[in-house]
Amino acid sequence: MAAAKERVVGAAPAGYTALAVKFGERQRSPHYLLVKEHQVREGAGTTHPSRRTLFVLNVPPYCSPDSLSRLFSRCGDVQSVDICEKPGPGEKKEKLKSKFFNRKTVTGFHVAYVVFRKPSGVQAAKALSQEGPLLISTESHPVKTGISKWIASYAASVVDQEELKAEVDAYMQDYDKKIAEEEAKAAKEEGVPDEEGWVKVTRKGRKPGLPRTEAANLRVLEKEKQKRARKELLNFYAWQHRETKREHIAQLRKKFEEDKQRIALMRAQRKFRPY
Amino acid sequence: MAGSPEAAEEAEAPGREPPAGGAARSGKRAAPSGPGALQPTKLSRAELYKPPTSEELSQLKETEDLFHSSLLRLQIEELLKEVTLKETKKKKIDTFLHEINSLLSTIPETSETELTDQAWLPKGVKVPFLQVPFSVKGKFRFVPPAELKVVGSYLLGTCIKPEINVDVAVTMPREIFQDKDNLNQRYHRKRALYLAHIAQHFSKEKLFGSVKFAYMNSNHLKPILLLRPQGKDEKMVTVRIHACPAPGLFKPSRFYPNKNNVRTAWFMEQNTPKEGATEPPTPHYNNSILCDTVLLSHLHFLSSAATDFPGMKDGLALLKVWLNQRQLSKGLGLFSGFSVSMLVAYLLMTCKIIKMMSGYQVLRSTLQFLATTDLSVTGISLAKDMDSSLPVLDDFHQAFEVVFVDPSGLVNLCADMTASKYHQVQFEAKRSMEILDDRMVDGFQALLMTAKPMLRAFDHVFHLKHVSKLQGTCKKMQLLNELMDWGGNYMAVALPFVVSLLACGLARRALLVPHFLPQIPEWPIDAEPPKHKDVGPLMFGLLFDPEFAASTLEKGPQADHPEALDFRTFWGEKSELRRFQDGSICEAVVWEADTICQKRLIPEQIVRHLLKLHADIPESSICYTGALLESVIRTGQEASGTGEEAMVSVICSYDDLSRKLWNLKELPLTVTAVQGVHPALRYTDVFPPIPMKPIYSSHTRMRTKNLLLPSEEKPCPAYIAPLKIICHMEGSGQWPQDKEAIKRIKAAFHLQLAELLQQQHQLVCRPAVTHTDVYKDGYVFRLQVAYHREPLILKEVVTPEGMLKYQDTEESRQLELETLHLPYLTSSLHGLQQQHPVFGSTCRLAKRWVSAQLLSDSISEECVDLLVAFLFLHPAPFTPPSSPQVGFLRFLDLLATFDWKNNPLIVNLNTGLTDSDCTEIKNKFVAARSRLPVMFIATPKDQWSSMWTQERPSAQILQRLLVLASESLRTLEEQLMDPLHSQDVKMVFRPPLDFYDVLIHLNPNQIPRHLESVDRPLKSFSRGVVKNSTAVKILFPVVDYDPVQCYLQELRDAFSDLALFFYDKHGGEVIAVLWKPLSFQPQPFKVSNVKGRMVTTLNNELVCVPNVEAILEDFEILGEGLVKSVEARTEKWTI
Repeated sequence: MAAAKERVVGAAPAGYTALAVKFGERQRSPHYLLVKEHQVREGAGTTHPSRRTLFVLNVPPYCSPDSLSRLFSRCGDVQSVDICEKPGPGEKKEKLKSKFFNRKTVTGFHVAYVVFRKPSGVQAAKALSQEGPLLISTESHPVKTGISKWIASYAASVVDQEELKAEVDAYMQDYDKKIAEEEAKAAKEEGVPDEEGWVKVTRKGRKPGLPRTEAANLRVLEKEKQKRARKELLNFYAWQHRETKREHIAQLRKKFEEDKQRIALMRAQRKFRPY
Repeated sequence: MAGSPEAAEEAEAPGREPPAGGAARSGKRAAPSGPGALQPTKLSRAELYKPPTSEELSQLKETEDLFHSSLLRLQIEELLKEVTLKETKKKKIDTFLHEINSLLSTIPETSETELTDQAWLPKGVKVPFLQVPFSVKGKFRFVPPAELKVVGSYLLGTCIKPEINVDVAVTMPREIFQDKDNLNQRYHRKRALYLAHIAQHFSKEKLFGSVKFAYMNSNHLKPILLLRPQGKDEKMVTVRIHACPAPGLFKPSRFYPNKNNVRTAWFMEQNTPKEGATEPPTPHYNNSILCDTVLLSHLHFLSSAATDFPGMKDGLALLKVWLNQRQLSKGLGLFSGFSVSMLVAYLLMTCKIIKMMSGYQVLRSTLQFLATTDLSVTGISLAKDMDSSLPVLDDFHQAFEVVFVDPSGLVNLCADMTASKYHQVQFEAKRSMEILDDRMVDGFQALLMTAKPMLRAFDHVFHLKHVSKLQGTCKKMQLLNELMDWGGNYMAVALPFVVSLLACGLARRALLVPHFLPQIPEWPIDAEPPKHKDVGPLMFGLLFDPEFAASTLEKGPQADHPEALDFRTFWGEKSELRRFQDGSICEAVVWEADTICQKRLIPEQIVRHLLKLHADIPESSICYTGALLESVIRTGQEASGTGEEAMVSVICSYDDLSRKLWNLKELPLTVTAVQGVHPALRYTDVFPPIPMKPIYSSHTRMRTKNLLLPSEEKPCPAYIAPLKIICHMEGSGQWPQDKEAIKRIKAAFHLQLAELLQQQHQLVCRPAVTHTDVYKDGYVFRLQVAYHREPLILKEVVTPEGMLKYQDTEESRQLELETLHLPYLTSSLHGLQQQHPVFGSTCRLAKRWVSAQLLSDSISEECVDLLVAFLFLHPAPFTPPSSPQVGFLRFLDLLATFDWKNNPLIVNLNTGLTDSDCTEIKNKFVAARSRLPVMFIATPKDQWSSMWTQERPSAQILQRLLVLASESLRTLEEQLMDPLHSQDVKMVFRPPLDFYDVLIHLNPNQIPRHLESVDRPLKSFSRGVVKNSTAVKILFPVVDYDPVQCYLQELRDAFSDLALFFYDKHGGEVIAVLWKPLSFQPQPFKVSNVKGRMVTTLNNELVCVPNVEAILEDFEILGEGLVKSVEARTEKWTI
């Protein structure tokens, strides 16, 4: 397969710096992280403040936020590490972080935003390219992969029943409260005209209106059509008769034409050779 | 609406078409979207509505009257064009025939010698006749032929490809013959010598590409001379020279079926005939001479029938194609093209066919006649005026099995045919009539275009390896007279007896027991003619009646009835007296079989027993292929069963669980339905789960939660598949109408189900957010709660106008698939299994094959299930398979030959689709082809979306699958058809690996399903489980833990845009990796596109290339502990 004859180790496109990174001592060929200072045209969010945030591309799958934070801690204090599948605006953190529901894990190669406490960390990180490759898994901080990782994640997939129950109950209480509030609000508004004098008709009231759904609309249209069809006389005028005959021959012709095309195609594919 | 249609069209056109209407339209039609794909037809209104001409009207009318549909008419016309002989070739053939004619008259005479003195023949030619016994009286000399006439199909214009044969009758002059030449093969030997002399002279001529001998219809008494032109036309035509006697040479009365023309004393080489012994009749011998005398008159008879009857020519061509596709037209005792022609003439004579009919109608009427008439019971005759001196039909019935007498009233046209062969023809005709009447089936394809080779048509097949063993059969059955009649051809003599023996023994089990003889090949003139034993292995097929084929009991008559003796002699010592439940004491045979797979092989036991007992054929010469393939779906060491029993016990346990769920007390909402979705619950799981109990010492314990974890030090625990069950809860106003809240409620239900099952039924459970695992009877069931409105809630979208709309989302589609469509499919296929008991096993073989070829992740399991269901629901032109082997062969054939590009595969489950539905599906399919998945499967509940093939397979994978299928089919059929060599059928289950770029070898002790691999591993590991179905209070075992699948998941997540990963999930030891060539092209740097790549300079430009060395090392890092080695096949690519 195509590959460059002479390889420039650690080449990087404009603005980026390439950092070699290895899983452990034993790995011979490193991956290259591409890092640069995080910049966005629009005002940077609070999660990824400009000048303090390092944007990291091509993070290998076995490199977790913890490892990244450890790797870059030598350049300065790391405030937070965010990883996502592809670069994008800093996601709004979900307020309700659930332990059991909607857990999305980032897999494969990903990108990371490393936020330092001081802007100097970003510069220091860029300078890392001069040193040897970074090691993700060291003796003091081993990273689990393979069998041990899978066994761990199997163990983690077992839920604590009590905890789950408590969380569900709490959520449902909130939900019920919310629904009850909404209903109370709707009941208060029921039949009361707004400033311009409009009254909102809901399904709850004494005279429920048609539900505003697409299905209901279609149903009404269909009914109308049927009503019209019932009134129509099909064999009343002579031209109607003529028309049906013409239509019949046209149908036959159309079918014949289709068949001919099908045959021509099959002939082209030699479908008529019985053996 | 006023005015002519054209005027209306003109008025309408501008409004309909864009400004540049005409040009755009023609342009569109000229450029097809893809080669070889059907386009929806567009006819302009003017073309559609122009007034019809009378010619067009009559054609439309004719199509309606004489053919099934216009498509069938066109198809038949195309087919005829394809098989008939072209005019230019005819001219060439005619000149070739003229040259032969002139050459024949130049052959010199020879002087008279004794028949036994063949020294005058030069060395280069051998007499094409088995001269046993050698000594015979009579004198021979060669005199150039009195006459040369072309006879047979060539003149009638009904000879068709692939073999164009021109029959030429050469009349031997009267001078050659003496008195009594009708006796003791004298005529046949003279005929053979005559042909040998001609052959010897022709072999020197440059005109001929080849000069060879062959047996006419494989009959040893009738050699013929084959001549082929020189040069590139050699394949074009074969001229077959028949020698026939001068007219009036023999008195016909000598050859009546009850007359003798072969003397016992001569045949036995005794000097003096035994006094007083009556000579037995020799009907076949007589018939073989008579045939030669009537060649010319038959030609006249047929040509008079064919005059003013254009449909006959077409009809005969179709019939011949029909016979050829069923392998019924060539060989000894088969339905040759000539006999079919005579049959059509008979139908014309009896006014069942009239000269107005089209070729299609001739075909139909002939099939109808064959289907309803049993010529082995009621023969037919073409002779018009019954001369009282001529033999009557009864005489023929006594001498022959099948009777069809020619116009002269002397010759039986079906003399060599066995009754069983005729029954096969009849069966095929019946089946074909059913297909023609069925509007759902493409009759043309099924009848005329699909070959029915023996292996794919019959459920079991067995070979008689050594035909010479039949000599012993003849001796045992005392068939000397018949041997004399057949000129010593013991195979032909014994065959009808063997076949009737088998038919009798398999009476209830088999619908058909046909036999197949390979055709005796032609031989060069300087070689000895093939002996009787040279015909090759004799093959028999069995077509089962699924209801009785596997019954273990053969109940005979009551012990005190006289028939009991017959029964006992027929079955030999296998027959024993048994008392039955109704109190009767009967003779009975009981066959030993414990498992369903052994029961399917009871016919094998019967065949072997009967042939040994009555025909003296040792077991070693029988090669039975019925269940050779089944070893790949066998589990465990005990090699008896193939898992059907395991499947049944899974389903019993499942039924019990669903009853318990229905009756669960204290649940806030009741369970309305319990539906299985796991393949084991529709009998199609390749390896059904076996009840298991974990051994604690091989696991790490997690006491607090009452369960076990895999241990790092021990081999990976055996894979326990969770059997997924959907548990529908009652609808109620209590359900929240919000998708997040529904998820919580479902989780709460999972917790509660686990608790209640534990309390009320003492089942060990392990709840989770999305399901609850239940350990019961050694199986683990995975309960998933479903709420019927949830997919709707997921689909809800509110438009800006405030209208509520439903739109499919990925999430809702997935949920519907799981909770709605998959349960329905599972129950439909469960039902199919009840009708066709081998459906499950066939499906499992098919899936095993797909996975053995490393493609199981590239095609959905349900898709394979549906493909196999198709074989059972739409078997035309076959019957539904009654053995897994034949089902599997047809599965491969379906994969290899189905035209996915232009046709949807319609699987009519529960006959939920009508004829018009099918047409609609086909039309919509053509219109929307480019937007539909490459493999389109429609079922009654899923007519437009083909949900099981939407994402998988891709076009490339499908292509690969087709190639693999056709190769596997070829290899497998070759092996099954070759009984003399060792049959290693597992070969098609071993994937070719040289095609891949990287191989990742895995550590066998971390492969939980290692025992399921095709070639059972020699070394096995203790997997921490024992078989047990009664364990109640246990720690919960490790469920659904397969390190290899975890590994594959990680690999695909990380490298899916660089490579494809292939793996046999049933115990494969290797993961095959294929680089995607496109992603290896150097690409410009893009932020979204650096995954696993590195930036480098190429020609002073910065480009991204995959960091292959690091990736190869990543393979090892990600699979720490599982990967043994990574083998990069660098000979195919460079890093």
